[in-house]
Amino acid sequence: MNSGWRSVLAWRVALRDPGLRLLLAAVLVAVAALSSVAFFADRVERALVLQGAALMAGDLVVEQGDFIPDAWLAEATTRGLQAARTVTFPSVIIANERPLLVQVKAVEPPYPLRGRLRIDTPAGPVGRAPGASDAWLEGRLRDRLGAEIGETSLQLGEVALRAAGILVNEPDRGGNLFQLSPRLMVGYEDVLRSGLLGPASRAKHRLLIAGDTSQVTAMRSWLAARLPPGSELEDVENARPELQTALERARRFLSLAALCASLLAGVAILLATRRYVDHAMDSAAVLRTLGMRGSAVLRWHLGQLLAVALIATLGGSLVGLAGQQALVSVLGDWFDQALPAPGLRPVWVGTAFGMSMALGFAVPSLLRIRNVPPLRVLRRELDAPGLAGWLVWLVAAAAFVGLMYWQVQDPRLAGGMAIALFVTLGVLMIAGRLLLGALAPLRRAGGTAALGIAALARYPQLTMLQLAGFGLGITLLLLLAVVRVDIIDTWQNSLPEGAPNHFLINVQPEERASLEALLAERKVPNSGLHATTRGRLTAINGRRIDPESYTDMRSRRLAAREYSLGFGAAMQPDNRIRSGRWWLPGEADQPAFSVEQGVADSLGVKVGDTLTFDVAGQTVLAPVTSLRAVAWDSFNVNFFVVGSPALARDLPVAYLSSLYLDEETDGLTLELAEAFPAVSVIDVRPILTQVREIMGRGSLAVEMVFLFTLIAAALVTFAAAQVSRDERAREVAVMRTLGASRRRLLGAVLAEFGLLGFIGGLLAALLASVSGYLIAVQLFDLPGRVSPSTWWLGIGAGTLVVALVGWLATRRLLAIPPIQVLNST
Amino acid sequence: MSDGRTLNILAAIDMQVNAGEAVAILGPSGSGKSTLLGLLAGLDQPTEGGVSLLGHDLGAMDEDARAALRAGRVGFVFQSFQLLPGMTALENVALPLQIVRNSGARVQAEALLREVGLEKRLSHLPRQLSGGEQQRVALARAFAGDPDVLFADEPTGNLDADSGQRIIDLLFGLRDRAGSTLLLVTHDQQLAARCDRVLRLHAGRLQEAA
Repeated sequence: MNSGWRSVLAWRVALRDPGLRLLLAAVLVAVAALSSVAFFADRVERALVLQGAALMAGDLVVEQGDFIPDAWLAEATTRGLQAARTVTFPSVIIANERPLLVQVKAVEPPYPLRGRLRIDTPAGPVGRAPGASDAWLEGRLRDRLGAEIGETSLQLGEVALRAAGILVNEPDRGGNLFQLSPRLMVGYEDVLRSGLLGPASRAKHRLLIAGDTSQVTAMRSWLAARLPPGSELEDVENARPELQTALERARRFLSLAALCASLLAGVAILLATRRYVDHAMDSAAVLRTLGMRGSAVLRWHLGQLLAVALIATLGGSLVGLAGQQALVSVLGDWFDQALPAPGLRPVWVGTAFGMSMALGFAVPSLLRIRNVPPLRVLRRELDAPGLAGWLVWLVAAAAFVGLMYWQVQDPRLAGGMAIALFVTLGVLMIAGRLLLGALAPLRRAGGTAALGIAALARYPQLTMLQLAGFGLGITLLLLLAVVRVDIIDTWQNSLPEGAPNHFLINVQPEERASLEALLAERKVPNSGLHATTRGRLTAINGRRIDPESYTDMRSRRLAAREYSLGFGAAMQPDNRIRSGRWWLPGEADQPAFSVEQGVADSLGVKVGDTLTFDVAGQTVLAPVTSLRAVAWDSFNVNFFVVGSPALARDLPVAYLSSLYLDEETDGLTLELAEAFPAVSVIDVRPILTQVREIMGRGSLAVEMVFLFTLIAAALVTFAAAQVSRDERAREVAVMRTLGASRRRLLGAVLAEFGLLGFIGGLLAALLASVSGYLIAVQLFDLPGRVSPSTWWLGIGAGTLVVALVGWLATRRLLAIPPIQVLNST
Repeated sequence: MSDGRTLNILAAIDMQVNAGEAVAILGPSGSGKSTLLGLLAGLDQPTEGGVSLLGHDLGAMDEDARAALRAGRVGFVFQSFQLLPGMTALENVALPLQIVRNSGARVQAEALLREVGLEKRLSHLPRQLSGGEQQRVALARAFAGDPDVLFADEPTGNLDADSGQRIIDLLFGLRDRAGSTLLLVTHDQQLAARCDRVLRLHAGRLQEAA
């Protein structure tokens, strides 16, 4: 045969092969589902990162004590990036002959590069940096100065400014939430003219950068190589802890959902390949009889497979791209900013996934085709010798785990899922074997249900495959359907309606009693007063801390920073001990520290280490007795380092509290400012809103991605039912010929598939409960809980859906006249 | 047909088979023998005309009613055996009896298999049996429940001469004992000659053989 003719023929044969058609459909839908998820997740993740960037007013921020060199600004501009300088410092302004300490922030256009600035001016709201000689005032500053917008003059150093607007929202204000003094925002040039900024002034200079991701990354490397000691580079990843937690959880939810869709898609492909290889064996035997060599037969089929996989993969990617576009257009309103254009990575992920799955699962089985005995033409039961079954599975599994890792780029998530997958399959296989053993006696019985159920025992291999397919499908669906709701609920409940929205800081010990009395009188929900003091970490296990000895920026910053040390007898309810233990009531007089896990990891601190802090000249030394996970996004009062009450005894402490103020109690802020002048009330509602937005959108995105998982699950169920289609078609035809009624056959099928669904659902509920618990605790740092709905949904829906799928598949077969089926076999 | 043209397989067929009669339908490959058999047994429906089986008009019945009519009263033997691959020989033979909820299905099936000489093959799956043995299982299945009518489609078509002869002997032996009406489709003249009446099918038309 010449090769051109051969490939045309191969194609015509291929298109008629129902096994190959199913494989094509499976790969196409799998890749479409997966790449829609990947495309969408990619874009949502970019949007979430942008949202995070809004809180820094840029994608990348350099912060240092000195002026930002002009060369850096020029470099950013040359790279096509946006850049703006800001500087913040405490200073005194004079207005209406009253001096007042303020936090000055000078900004230059195009500040802010990300996020929104909102200024209320007499002419209406604006969102830009102040013009020359204009100043934006925070509301409480205007109140204290008694200033009139558009009228009052302010003196800042040597420059005279005019109160031109009220600063309502400053995107990067959160960078230092607990500022005692109110904000005054002015133009960068005005500050340079004020004469207030000398080399020794306590100013924080920032360079904000934003633009194309790859350029920002390149700029980051460029800057990292030039940063002097004491300078810091910040991006969304290492910015605000409460946002980082929220972003990280949102990202993990998406990864998890995408991974579940991939797993389901992989199972569907695996099931489809079985039918394809079976059919390929038959045609290979014929080709061998006609004289084609083994290697040529193999090439023929490999060519078919490769072409089908390629077409399906490309088609799937296109459908995926269209699918996510549809999703974005539906979701467009929910995202207040345009979603960034999708990157190309999802195409590669989808292509690699589709090709590897189709080829990885089919090729090891297909290799046997070289040795298929021509005698199979006469005796179909003859099979070809080939690789051991377990080896084929092992290769496929290894490829699968590799792809999972590549897709989520998170070793913990991928590893956890791989282990969960193998345990799930193992449990399903063992259960399958036990089931088959238990069903053997039913082969002797004759009732309708027994007839159907005995069918499971008649085709043990198919039963195992179907149980694995249905079981895995239901497990992953349950995991996403029920556990997802649990996790999202728990997540959102961690920031309930009445979450603290104001902080009180700098409460002096003598003010404590009267403040507590006031809060109690007004019935203001609050966290109670927590003792705190500022301290610098000086030594770990007696060795002096040298920030320069740490290689990464975060560790350096943590080693050099001043800590707010908290003190308390009881642990905050949103904290969880990761190692060691919290001090017992009887141990309150023992000196001890509890450290937040992330800080401990960065600084290399373990339980049992001794930490030394310098607090206003006093040395505080104590062993670390526990490491904690902290839910920063709860907005409760939390500290990186907490000391036992014994440590606070001789230290100068102030108190800190968080409150929830509603519309009725909102006026309390003014009252507090008057009654306790030293106490600062910080309104965290804007940042609370931002965190809630991230949670809301993250949850919404997961819901959307879940739809794709549902499609993939439907495909698995279909493929699992199709696995036994040939055998079932023949059984149905023979039984109908022998006089079995439709009702009888459908009853038998309902019993057969119902039992499969029941067992699959039962096991799935068990597996989903265990893995859901582990996922909540291990991946999301949320309290684990087992929901009863997992059980009734798993068993109920599993039985019903699988029975329905079997019923539908058989109903179609019943419509075919029996003679047609019998003539074709 | 897929190109929109009509293909007439059978035309103007008028035939009657009486109870207890053995009738052979002879014809070359492609003459429509198997199609005719499928129509007579109610496994398929004619586009025109009608078929009456055991006094029932098949055209007036739905598929379930036709199946109920077949259950226990009609037996089949196919050229390609049509045994269910997942069932043992015994299970295959017991199947039609289980369908009519006969409580002694397995005992009767065992007796039938003994009658066709397969008492040592009860628990074998079809793929563990030779072609001749598979057809004997099919014969035992066809006669389970002593059917009123037996349809046989080229029962020896897949077998060598010796095995074929043995199947024919068994078929007629079992039929005599059960008193079933036999309708047999074949292209084997010798086999047809053992029937009471022979009909020839040519180009879709049926003629009584001389």
